[in-house]
Amino acid sequence: MSVVPMTTTPIEIEPPVSLWRDAWHRLRRNKLAVFGLIVVVILAFAAIFGPYLTPYDFLSQDLNSRNIAPSLSHLFGTDDLGRDVFSRVVYGTRTAFLVAIVVTFIAVLIGVTLGALAGFFGGWLDRIVMWLTDMTMSIPNLLLVVVINASLKSPITSWMEGRYLATLNPIYRETIWVDFLLVFGSMALISWPPYARLVRAQVLSIRSRPYITAAQALGLTNRIILMRYVVPNALGPLIVAVSAGLGTAMVLESAFSFLGVGVNPPTPSWGNMISDGLRVWQHYPHLLAAPAAVLGLASVAFSFLGDGLNDALNPRGAK
Amino acid sequence: MMMAKPIRPEPPAKTGERLLDVKGLTIEIETRNGPATIVDGIDLHVDKGETLGIVGESGCGKSLTMLSMMRLLPNKIKVTKGEANFAGRDLQKMSNSELRKVRGGEVGFIFQDPMTSLNPVMRIGQQLAEPLIYHRGMSKAEARKRAGELLRLVGIPGAEDRLDAYPHELSGGMRQRVMIAIGLACNPQLLIADEPTTALDVTIQAQIVDLVKDLRDKLGMSVVWITHDLALIAGLVDRINVLYAGTVVEDAPVDALFANPSHPYTQGLLASIPKLSDERSTRLSSIGGTPPEPGRRPKGCPFAPRCPLAETICHERVPALEGLSHGGAHRVACFVAQRKLEAA
Repeated sequence: MSVVPMTTTPIEIEPPVSLWRDAWHRLRRNKLAVFGLIVVVILAFAAIFGPYLTPYDFLSQDLNSRNIAPSLSHLFGTDDLGRDVFSRVVYGTRTAFLVAIVVTFIAVLIGVTLGALAGFFGGWLDRIVMWLTDMTMSIPNLLLVVVINASLKSPITSWMEGRYLATLNPIYRETIWVDFLLVFGSMALISWPPYARLVRAQVLSIRSRPYITAAQALGLTNRIILMRYVVPNALGPLIVAVSAGLGTAMVLESAFSFLGVGVNPPTPSWGNMISDGLRVWQHYPHLLAAPAAVLGLASVAFSFLGDGLNDALNPRGAK
Repeated sequence: MMMAKPIRPEPPAKTGERLLDVKGLTIEIETRNGPATIVDGIDLHVDKGETLGIVGESGCGKSLTMLSMMRLLPNKIKVTKGEANFAGRDLQKMSNSELRKVRGGEVGFIFQDPMTSLNPVMRIGQQLAEPLIYHRGMSKAEARKRAGELLRLVGIPGAEDRLDAYPHELSGGMRQRVMIAIGLACNPQLLIADEPTTALDVTIQAQIVDLVKDLRDKLGMSVVWITHDLALIAGLVDRINVLYAGTVVEDAPVDALFANPSHPYTQGLLASIPKLSDERSTRLSSIGGTPPEPGRRPKGCPFAPRCPLAETICHERVPALEGLSHGGAHRVACFVAQRKLEAA
């Protein structure tokens, strides 16, 4: 007994091509994007393994060989304390990646959650979220981060010193992570609104697509519809934004460290190395050139990769 | 081809028991100029095992009535009056969680556009499994097995291999079969097909109609088929409701409707179907004018401004839907048609 009076001859079935594999094929054809990807991979490798592979420790000083120009033994030369600049730039990569990844992760988490909820449910929730977003975006970024770091860092540090003296608990002794905590927190605080806006706009357009009504007609809960139908369809533009956002976060971290409100010496950051190098660049240009070039390279690489991903994931928008 | 195992043993028996009973449903949309009525006190019913065709031109409220009955429309569009009873329970008064059990579990939907009604980033098998896991509490493995059976049931070649395909890898007709399989996943008592063939070409349309017919007979469910194509559903449905401007203007068993169309609008619809026997030079007949916009409904019969038979009374009073013949099974909302019948 046959249900359908139609073809019973077996037909050729190709293995399914996933959207991601399709995007990967398109990405590979884009030379700039491949260049960006390679640079990003090398930097990521340097961030993870670099500090174990560099010939010198990033902190060890050699006062007999200060401000040496680049040579074979010191690829990027040495700074005014005789520290190897190459090792410090490599360690700075770790700082940059750590800050960029953690900050972007927190910002995306906040942005996607708020944006998706606002776009999906609308109404008063949408109004509150958009109000928060606009308010955050209206505050000058640098000013807010400077205010947070300047006003919170010393009270927290002195409170911790007080706790350490009172309890002798080693948790309170190390204060370097306060730097990171404040940098992460304040940067995430200013970075989430663009993600929230992007995701909200995506969700607003996805919400009215027929497959969402179809999912509702299946009786699925809002939670399942949001997590499995709405958010996955909004991922393409989000991935592009995250890729570009990582680069931006690195530049931002350097900017704050340059201004002295980010990661503080002796922890190397491209920003504070540029800041140090700037004072003596007329005499020792390599101290400025090395971190600045790597920062520029990283920023350009993430930007190319982001553009390439944009074309690969949104083929309709590509030329 | 081997059949999937029978799900409900008895063939559909038309017991005359009401499965769906919509009474006086009024739907309004919020506009800048205040609320406008789109559907005005519509009455519809579907018996167990019955197939109802809802026919009318675009924008007359066909889909809207069904979607709003299941509370699937955006907040701007609201049901302001009336009730929609499904198996004795008012869908308008149910809690959201009760309603979710009815949607998908007891009422299946097939939508108009198979190209956009499937989630593009989810594999077919997962989309089929979703309602099974949610409504029937199946495990992932059970749901996948059943998903394969369902694809075979709707006649997709290589069903099991297709479970891992994404929607964009299937043709329109295949996707509509997948939609039907999803709609049928939980053995619903009622299948609502909202113009399921509009986006497909003619040969595929016929296949889909035959498929739904077969499945209905096999699974013993009721079907509501929404369309603007009277000819397409002539062989499928038991009864037809003709909708105009959000009201039922004629309700008749399918044979009676084709043999004796009584409402001038139904007559116009039937006359506008081209016939093979027509001369090539014959102009296609059409109904002049356009349906009234929501909120600008005429005072009397909504069809009166376009009606070739309209009289003074038609512009002043709204005709009720009243029985003509077949023991009241053939009903029409038209003063002229009603008078003609009384005279005869």
